[in-house]
Amino acid sequence: MEKISQLIDGDLGEWEARAQIARLERDPELADCWATYHLIGDALRKEIELGPEFTRKLRAQLDLEPTILAPRLRLMQRATRHALPIAAGVAGVTVVAWLALSSFQATPGGSEVAQLDVQTVSPRPSPANAGVTDYLVAHQEFSPSTAMHGVASYMRTVSADESNGAR
Amino acid sequence: MRLAPAIVLSQLWICMAAAATDVPDQAEALAWLQKIAAAAAQLNYSGTFVYQRGDQVETCRIVHLVDHGAEYEKLETLDGPKREIIRTPNEILTYFSDTQLVKREKRTTRKLSPAILPEQLSGVAEHYQLHKGGPERIAGYDAQAFSLDPRDEYRYGHKFWVEDSTGLLLKARMLDEKNHAIEQFHFTQLNINGPLTRDSVKPSFAVPLDGGMPDLASPSETGWIVRNPPPGFKKIMEMKRPKRDGKGEISHLVFSDGLAAVSVFVESMPTARKGVDGLSHQGALNIYTLSLPEHIVTVLGETPAVTVTQIANSVSPKNK
Repeated sequence: MEKISQLIDGDLGEWEARAQIARLERDPELADCWATYHLIGDALRKEIELGPEFTRKLRAQLDLEPTILAPRLRLMQRATRHALPIAAGVAGVTVVAWLALSSFQATPGGSEVAQLDVQTVSPRPSPANAGVTDYLVAHQEFSPSTAMHGVASYMRTVSADESNGAR
Repeated sequence: MRLAPAIVLSQLWICMAAAATDVPDQAEALAWLQKIAAAAAQLNYSGTFVYQRGDQVETCRIVHLVDHGAEYEKLETLDGPKREIIRTPNEILTYFSDTQLVKREKRTTRKLSPAILPEQLSGVAEHYQLHKGGPERIAGYDAQAFSLDPRDEYRYGHKFWVEDSTGLLLKARMLDEKNHAIEQFHFTQLNINGPLTRDSVKPSFAVPLDGGMPDLASPSETGWIVRNPPPGFKKIMEMKRPKRDGKGEISHLVFSDGLAAVSVFVESMPTARKGVDGLSHQGALNIYTLSLPEHIVTVLGETPAVTVTQIANSVSPKNK
C-alpha cells in the first residue's frame, strides 16, 4: 500500500515504479487501492469531474491502456496544480473544506465536491452535521464566550447532538 | 381606589431604591467580567471540566499555554469517541477519532477576536441585571459567584463562578427564560500557573499538510445588512469568507450584546437545493435558515430562538 502512494507521488525510482506497475496489472486489490488513492487525491484537489462512475471508469481504463499508469505524467500534472499530500490520505487523515451551505443542507447534487469529501472519502455520519460544525467553528471565534472560556467553548462545535428541532 | 396612586408611588420608590443599591454590585460584576477575559487569555492552566448540555454530560481535558505572548490551547474529550481541538494563533484544528477527520480553520482575523471591551460592557449592564452572589468553593478553589439576568426575551441568563485571586472562570451556566440550564461548564480539577511545555498542547493526531487553502479575507463590507436587530445587538465584525472549493464567497456578519453573539452567513443559492427553511438547534445554539430569491441566509447564536429569527428576517442587501 505504501509503495502505491509513493508511486502516485512519483517518489519511486524507475525500476521500482515498473515493478509496482507490473504488480498493479496482476493484482486487482492493489488496482482498487490505486484507484482509491487517486480518488482521495482528486477529491482533495477538488477535481469535479469525478463521480460515482470514477472507479469503474478508471478500472476500465486500467484494462485498456496500462501505460496511463506512468507516474511521471501524474507528477507533471500535479506540479501545475495545488499539490495536496496524498500521504495524508494514506495515513487515513482527511482534510475537509469549509463547506458551503449546499452540503450543510445535504442537497443531492448541490455540491458534488463537498459530498465527495464527506460521503466518499470519509465516513462522516451526516453531511448536515459536518456543515453545521463549520459554521459553529466560524461563529465561535467571535463569541464573547470564547473570550471567557477559551477553547472550552468549542465543546459546542464537537458535542454530539442526538436531538434536533427548535428549542 | 384613592390610595392607588400612593401605592404606585411607594412601589416605584422601592424599585428605584433597589436599583440604586444594585449599582455597586453592577460595577463589581462588570469588573469581574473583564477579569475573567484577561485571566482566560493570560494564564497558564490545565485541568478537567465537565460540559453539560440538556441531559448530556461530557468530561474533557483542557490545557492553556501562553508562550511569548501567544496562546496555545488543547481540548480533548474523555468520554466516547475522542474529539480533539487544537487552537493556535494561526488556526483551529478539530479532530474526530472515529472518522479520522481533521478540520482546519484559519484564524487570520485573530487580532480582532473579541476581548470583552469596555464599550460592550456598558451594553451588558443595559441589557442584563447583574447580581453579586456569595463566596463558594469550586474544584478546590475559593470562588465568587455572580449572575446576569436578561432584561428581555432576546438573551439567555448567565451565572458565573470565578476564582478569587486569578479571575479564572471555574464554572459557568447559561439559563433559559424558565431558569433551566441550557449548558454548563464546570471544572472538577484545575491547576493554575503550573509548569507547562509546548508538548502539552501538541496534537495527538497526525496533522495533514496545509494544502494551500485560502486565507480568510480581512474584515470587509459584504453588501448585506441587518435592518432590525434586537435591542443591544451591535455588529462587531463583517467579513467575506472564501469557500474552500474556490467557488465564491460567504458573507459573515457577527452581532453581539457583549455576552452573546449571533452570526449571519449569506451565500448564493446553490443550483439544486431543497427548501429546508426554519429553526433548528445544535447544542446550546439556535439556528435559523431562510431562503432569499438568490441567496441562503443562516443565522446562529447562543441566544433564544426569537433572536436568531428576528435577525434572519431582517437581513437584506445594503443598497435596496
